[in-house]
Amino acid sequence: MSMSMQGVVAVDYGILGFSKPWFPRQTRTMQFDRSSAQAQSKQAALAALYDQYYNRIANYIFVRMGDRSEAEDLAGEVFLKALQSLGSYKERGVPMQAWLFKIAHNLVVDHLRKTKKRKNVPIEYVEVVSESDPQEIAEANIEFSRVSRALGRLTQAQRQVIELRFFGELSAEETGKVMNKGAGAVRELQCAAIKALRKMLQEEVDTGNGGI
Amino acid sequence: MNRTFDEILDDCVDRLNRGDTVQDCLRGHPEHASELEPLLRAVADTRAAYKFTPSAEARRTARQRFNARMGELETRGQAKRPLLPRILSLSPAWAAVTAAVVVALLGYFAVRPALTPGPVPEPVAEGGFSFLISDEVNAIGDFDSLEVTISSIGLHLSGEGGGWIELEPEEEVVDLKLLPGKKAQEIWAGNVTEGRYTKVFIYVSEATGVLSETGEVIDIKLPSGKLQISKPFDVRSGEETTFVYDVTVVSTGQGQAADRYNLKPQIGESGPDQEFELVGGKGQGEPGGGQGDVNGPGANHHEGNRNQPGTPVSLKPD
Repeated sequence: MSMSMQGVVAVDYGILGFSKPWFPRQTRTMQFDRSSAQAQSKQAALAALYDQYYNRIANYIFVRMGDRSEAEDLAGEVFLKALQSLGSYKERGVPMQAWLFKIAHNLVVDHLRKTKKRKNVPIEYVEVVSESDPQEIAEANIEFSRVSRALGRLTQAQRQVIELRFFGELSAEETGKVMNKGAGAVRELQCAAIKALRKMLQEEVDTGNGGI
Repeated sequence: MNRTFDEILDDCVDRLNRGDTVQDCLRGHPEHASELEPLLRAVADTRAAYKFTPSAEARRTARQRFNARMGELETRGQAKRPLLPRILSLSPAWAAVTAAVVVALLGYFAVRPALTPGPVPEPVAEGGFSFLISDEVNAIGDFDSLEVTISSIGLHLSGEGGGWIELEPEEEVVDLKLLPGKKAQEIWAGNVTEGRYTKVFIYVSEATGVLSETGEVIDIKLPSGKLQISKPFDVRSGEETTFVYDVTVVSTGQGQAADRYNLKPQIGESGPDQEFELVGGKGQGEPGGGQGDVNGPGANHHEGNRNQPGTPVSLKPD
């Protein structure tokens, strides 16, 4: 007996072939449960990225929001949102990690809109370098303020390329997928951003607003 | 091959990301060391100032939530498995019983029409339908991004048995900044009932813009939360209809930033006969990056690869 249906290869599994195993599980899955297999494959890919990208996404969010606790929470939300939206994810040349950063960007924008704060960078959230060395903490706080002010003076695009490259640790190609630019344009933008950042950091020192 | 300074700097940023020091990078590019050093110091200072490692507790909690959610989805997926795979995964004995029941039922329904002749309801014909969002350039230049959340799409089917068909977008959030002119993003694709449609609306639950000049984040209000146009079009069985819905942001030039902008549908730029350049959504890639098609006029009805079809949520009578 053979059977054929749309999108399914005809299979001959013998008349009353019950003495043999019904056909192999993997064959059945491939033939009749393709969408389910695709969904599971995407879920597995996302799960595999979790360990590699959770910290980077949290860091990326922290730079944009300046709040460690919120960054940790939102990084978790990014993966939940991704899981929920996996059905609509089609690779089409966009790696899943770049897609995660797009989700992170959207969540941050949404969060900032809800809290009506563009940027909130309380000094007490600065990573404590060494709890036993108050001077080191003070210096870290001064440096954090200096960098924060310098980043705040960059254009949106310059800031975004820095956030994605330095903190998200995405490649130029992946950054391009998030920013809807080619890799060459990202490199060019990055170079301009770093030059501007360097100038701003120097100005912060020159005006006595920072420097250790 | 000579590498540009942009590429060398990019390579150094990659190396710093991998844990190399500024000195390591400079040693790799001695001819550019003097130009690179101050820039790489700025990169290193910035990374160091913001370096943050999430706590183990936060990471563990987030992972547990993720795993739990994935388990839920898998359970739901099992429950939703189509009938045929479930039958085929039964043991041979149960499969034999099931097959016998199916054969009996098929036999009954095959003989039944001959015994009780009567009208047989015709299946509803369907045609492929894709719904795209685009943006005519008006005040979009004022924004760095303008994200519009579309919670549903309504199509009005005319004629007997017609009514409103509601579609749930696969991609809810579109950034109009990325869709100027002919660029358009697909938010729904699937099959809808064949026939003539006369009206199309989209429900906009949120519209949030980031102003370029000030970086201010503003909400754009829609009094009714709905944008509607009357633009008749046909969906025909065996063909695919692509409808481009153009939404534009306009400035009234008055009031506070949040009150100064309105969203409006552009009927002249909307419809099934619009030229468009397909670009990806937030998870779909870059506009103009070679992954979209450019369809000219007349390409609105076409055969082709379809995405996983969506399902209309409901058909409400008039």
